[in-house]
Amino acid sequence: MRDRDSRAGNKLIRLPRWLTSEHPFPWLFPASAMLIVFGLYPVLYSLWLSMFKRNPATRIETFRPSWNWSKVFADDRVIDAVSVTLTYTFIALTIQLVLGLGIALLLDSDRKGFGLLRSLMILPLVVPPAVTGMMFLLMYDGSFGVISHMLYGLGLLSPSTPILAGGTSALWGVIIADVWQWTPFMVLIMLAGLRALPKDPFEAAAIDGATDMQAFFRLTLPMMSKIIALAVLIRGIDLFRIYDYIKVMTDSGPGTATETLTAYAGTIYFKNADFPYASTVALFTLILVVIIANLFIKIFKVRF
Amino acid sequence: MHDSTLKLTLRYLVSILIVGIFVFPIAWWGLTSVKPISAVFDKDRIVVFDFEPTLENYRVTVLGYSKRGSKEDGKTLMGTSGNNSYDGRSSIVSSVIVAVGSTLITTIVALLASYGLSRMRFWGSQGYLNWILSQRFLPPVAIIVPLVFIFHDMGLRDTHAGLIIAHTLINIPIAVLLLKSFMDDIPIDIDQAAMIDGATRFQCFWMVILPMVKGGLAATAVLCFVFSWTEFLLSLFLTSSIRTIPVKITTYVTSTGSEWGYISALGTSAILPSFIFILLVQRHLVRGLTMGAIKD
Repeated sequence: MRDRDSRAGNKLIRLPRWLTSEHPFPWLFPASAMLIVFGLYPVLYSLWLSMFKRNPATRIETFRPSWNWSKVFADDRVIDAVSVTLTYTFIALTIQLVLGLGIALLLDSDRKGFGLLRSLMILPLVVPPAVTGMMFLLMYDGSFGVISHMLYGLGLLSPSTPILAGGTSALWGVIIADVWQWTPFMVLIMLAGLRALPKDPFEAAAIDGATDMQAFFRLTLPMMSKIIALAVLIRGIDLFRIYDYIKVMTDSGPGTATETLTAYAGTIYFKNADFPYASTVALFTLILVVIIANLFIKIFKVRF
Repeated sequence: MHDSTLKLTLRYLVSILIVGIFVFPIAWWGLTSVKPISAVFDKDRIVVFDFEPTLENYRVTVLGYSKRGSKEDGKTLMGTSGNNSYDGRSSIVSSVIVAVGSTLITTIVALLASYGLSRMRFWGSQGYLNWILSQRFLPPVAIIVPLVFIFHDMGLRDTHAGLIIAHTLINIPIAVLLLKSFMDDIPIDIDQAAMIDGATRFQCFWMVILPMVKGGLAATAVLCFVFSWTEFLLSLFLTSSIRTIPVKITTYVTSTGSEWGYISALGTSAILPSFIFILLVQRHLVRGLTMGAIKD
């Protein structure tokens, strides 16, 4: 009741207004402090680190602001990693979007049993990505993996080349794990979108004799465009920063065939202990994410 | 609505088939966890189910029995088990501490911030929201190197407290935006009525708004728990002896081979709690995953 007294003006110690609950400051302070100290400060620290040149032999770091940045743009592995990251993001996103929309249309029914099916669809979302990676490692195993076994049976794969041993097939192997885990995310969002659609236009279209196909392309898709853009943005950014599956399943291999930008940054950190260069590659990733995401938001007018 | 029987049957079949494909890896994983070692590695019996189901893998990973079946001294195991031990108990304890701790802190901090953002208009509030949103899109790898240094200097490296802070950091943006969307659903007249009756802002938040966002708060807490429970990258970099379950599991893969029985047993145990939690708040899941952008 102290605050009420201070309002009436008969209190001994009067807090300045910005410290009372009438002012936004106390409400926002804990979250802001947290995000500044452990979110903003590390990014600035990263930027500072990226300006040092590390001598791998002597481990001495000298201040050379442009050294690492010119190295990033001349590093073939960075260029490779950008292309792997973009390929991965594009393929996985396309598959997840198409599958997600298709499965949502299929499961969008009030009939008996579909509720259970929708609940089961959530299951992959709660599996830790590292565990997902392990699951697929087990199923891909060249000698006793069940997926490999099926592919041998279908004649699509020969036992001499396990899935994760070939460059292209390894990338597909990781993409399939990602698709398995995150298609349900798309399904859930698309289902929410479908449920929110108004009924009238569809009834009108049916009266006018429109086929299901026409109704889908002329009504459903345009009316869902905002939700689709939002889902693509969230998923796309997460795909672009993919790390867990790569680390667990292929560790960027074979060679550097599945090395994404974040995986490369991790490799520099763990294997070379070149912290300044690792920071530079990580910041480079951040800059790319910001540019691509903002372009997307501008073009498709996404709003949160 | 007016599907023919044939069309409906077909729809059921295709739906069950597709959902079945998505459930299959987890079912296979669960099956592997109750297979005796000999059956896991037998390439002639991959899809043949003639094995005696065993809980041996769970005894070793979850209950901490030694491989031979005799119970080892729990105290030394909990404290000193190295990364190559198959006893997963300490990792389960770590995961629970970190997930519960970060969920608690995140929800408290985010509740305050979301009330401020939902109920007060101030200079730069839209910019502030965008800044919080941008934090959600920050690749953890971009802050990991300095975070390791900062944590080292603050004595937070390889501690539960440190990991709790790290997970709180990645969860705050989601939690703030989500809770704000739930609070935005409550008409502002309710606050005004309470304040006309003499309530302060804080009383209004504590006694009026908080009870009204209980459902949304539960959904937010569950999502924070699941994100922390499944997080891998930060846990991998920021700890060395404390191992959360996702990191611990990857240490079961060794140069001499992978202990698939143990891996799948610990993995299955890790999936169960989050699935149960998620089912409880299924109604708000879409809103949670889109940080409040899509209301359900």
